[in-house]
Amino acid sequence: MSLLRQQGPPAAVPLNQPVTSEGPAHAAGRKAGRRSGQLSGRTRHKAMGLLLVTPFGLLFAGFLVAPLAYAFWLSLRTSTLVGGDHFSWFANYKQTFTDPHFLSGVRRVLVFGVVQIPLMLGLALLGALIIDEVTSRLAKVFRMTLFMPYAVPAVIGALMWGFLYSPTFGPVNSLSNALGLGKFDLLGHSLMLTSLGNIVTWQWTGYNMIVLYAALQGLPREVYEAAKLDGAGQIQTALRIKIPMVSSALVLTLMFTIIGTLQFFTEPRVLEPTASSVISPDYTPNLYAYNLAFQYSEFNYSAAISFSLGAVVFIGSYLFLFATRKRSGLK
Amino acid sequence: MSSSRKPRLRSVRRTAVAATSAALAGMLLAACGGGSGGGSGSGAASSGPVHIKVWAWYPDFKQVVDQFNKTHKDVQVDWVQAGVGQDEYTKLKTALKAGQGAPDVVMLEFQELPTIQLTKGLLDMGKYGADADKGNYVDWAWKQVSDGDHVYAIPVDGGPMAMMYRADLFKKYKLKVPTTWAEYKEEAAKLHAADPKAYMTDFGSDETAGGWRQGLMWQAGSRPYTYSASKLPDIGVKLNDDNAKKVYEYWGDLVKNKLVDTQSYATTDFYNGLSSGKYATYIAAGWGPGYLSSVAKATAGKWRVAPLPQWTAGGTAQGDWGGSSFSVTSQTKHPKEATEVARELFGTSQAAWKIGIDQAYLFPLSKPILNGSYFGDKKYDFFGGQQINKVFVTAANGIGSFDWSPFQDFAYNTDTSEVGKALQGQTDWSAVNDNVQQQVASYATKQGFKVSR
Repeated sequence: MSLLRQQGPPAAVPLNQPVTSEGPAHAAGRKAGRRSGQLSGRTRHKAMGLLLVTPFGLLFAGFLVAPLAYAFWLSLRTSTLVGGDHFSWFANYKQTFTDPHFLSGVRRVLVFGVVQIPLMLGLALLGALIIDEVTSRLAKVFRMTLFMPYAVPAVIGALMWGFLYSPTFGPVNSLSNALGLGKFDLLGHSLMLTSLGNIVTWQWTGYNMIVLYAALQGLPREVYEAAKLDGAGQIQTALRIKIPMVSSALVLTLMFTIIGTLQFFTEPRVLEPTASSVISPDYTPNLYAYNLAFQYSEFNYSAAISFSLGAVVFIGSYLFLFATRKRSGLK
Repeated sequence: MSSSRKPRLRSVRRTAVAATSAALAGMLLAACGGGSGGGSGSGAASSGPVHIKVWAWYPDFKQVVDQFNKTHKDVQVDWVQAGVGQDEYTKLKTALKAGQGAPDVVMLEFQELPTIQLTKGLLDMGKYGADADKGNYVDWAWKQVSDGDHVYAIPVDGGPMAMMYRADLFKKYKLKVPTTWAEYKEEAAKLHAADPKAYMTDFGSDETAGGWRQGLMWQAGSRPYTYSASKLPDIGVKLNDDNAKKVYEYWGDLVKNKLVDTQSYATTDFYNGLSSGKYATYIAAGWGPGYLSSVAKATAGKWRVAPLPQWTAGGTAQGDWGGSSFSVTSQTKHPKEATEVARELFGTSQAAWKIGIDQAYLFPLSKPILNGSYFGDKKYDFFGGQQINKVFVTAANGIGSFDWSPFQDFAYNTDTSEVGKALQGQTDWSAVNDNVQQQVASYATKQGFKVSR
């Protein structure tokens, strides 16, 4: 439990890192101060600490801060095909939140998430509880097979499913035809979200299961014994003890999944050429930002969309953390 | 040809890694390497020939490049296969935006020229003598690449449309080769009634078929844009005139009655339909025979080519789908040599065109080749020995002029989305054109154009 609590916050707020990295430098300085002359030792070690942090700092500035700053600068300008380029303050942002394309994409991923996330995490939790309970060779095989899809790159996975869904060659349709159920247009309008949800569930269930399984493994075994003595069966133990005790791990996986869902991109992008009348350029907010920049050359507006999406993700995950921290009684 | 190989190669690329990451990585590499690549040519100057970097995706283009390099001493071509259609444009637009990394000469489809030209990505080749080529090309093609004496590209191949059909299936089901769209619909109903698994054709509802749908409207007399780079910021946008509406109402009706399939053109299911006899006709362009014979090898000898069905009996209206050209980018350090490459890679060279026609099924727009006997009399085994170019050449000579918008990607995407909604039953087919018109016009206004209808 305590171990898990430590896991939560740093992962959730990665920006803490530079602060913590200064910690050891301070501590080292204090320790050194005792050994050799206070001031010189402290400054020397402080400089040493800074020096050690430099590679990280450079990478951080070069690959995170600089591109973000450039993108933000871009998002404050407007350049049109004919009108030229000018500074437009927050006009792009204003447009973002009234843009039906962006909003419909956000709505779509929310609808998608509401169905797909509970389903996937439910399956992952169930799987984790089962392999935690069963300690046989079979459990190991089960664990490996469920985890395997995560090892397949998302692009390959989506491509593979694209072929499986094919109305002419796909085994799904051959099967339903053989059973006399008729054809399912898995790449058509009505089933596309379901088909995408299936790919994502296939890909990520095993990953989440492993995280939950690791949390379950970390629980003290004595608690189970006590429960057994109190007359609790396996199901009761799972519901009353195991699940509440891994709730912080559940919160963690849930948050990663929410972030992942809002940034939904790879699967629709890969299936787009096969079903471009279904997967429109604004199908998900991320896809929309990509198409704006690389197809319509609207780099400024695309940057604004990306930042807005980032804000939605940030605020959403913060609110979620805030809400669950209170409710799950972790405090 | 252009879009011809687009669907097939796309699917192969997809398998490779078509997703964004690859494109982005390639682009970054191109951006990083471009500086040194372009620089080395000029740096070395005086000693040795000038190297011109060319992006093109024609099949068997290597032979054409070899041919050029063999016959030129001062200029040598370095060819890069930078992706097909949209993949290449994405890279090019990014390189132009970045200010470096673009090739000297780039293969562009006609509809893409105004967009790249407007963002100052293209060199005015008229200043380097390209205007002298005017007489070499069919009139409508030259109009696609030039604006007065400004020349932004040299035409290579075109896509005059025609109807390919399965002679064996037509015979089996006693169908008549349709000469009008009304007859086409009748035969479609007859075929589907005889075999519910067969369709007259596939209605390309996807983005890669954007040019196909536009080509059919072109034939119907729709001229959606009035645009000239010299009259900025004025542009005429009219995507919902009666001619355009007629086309979507017609095809919408076929779709509703399930007389045509609605598979995306860029899928294995579509290729399979072409070779399995699921589709009895394939409405395509001058590059289509090459495409068809490569994706449906097993059906060799069974296909024939007939003119595009007409809206009025006895009519001769034609449309075009695709067509490519060579442009010189504004980033080139050797404008004179790059222009020479663009003009002469194919140009009027018999040797280059022999390769283009035999290996790549290119449809020449160069007049001496187009009207020459080598091309016109060529017999094709795949089409049962038919001299198919006679049909296409007639079509090519009957194509009227046509303006593209400088935001064609947006227009195609919007059209695709709206067609998708109609397929889904969310909107009526008759509303598709109005919705596209509204969105494209408002986009154009936002981009600073003065839009008139």
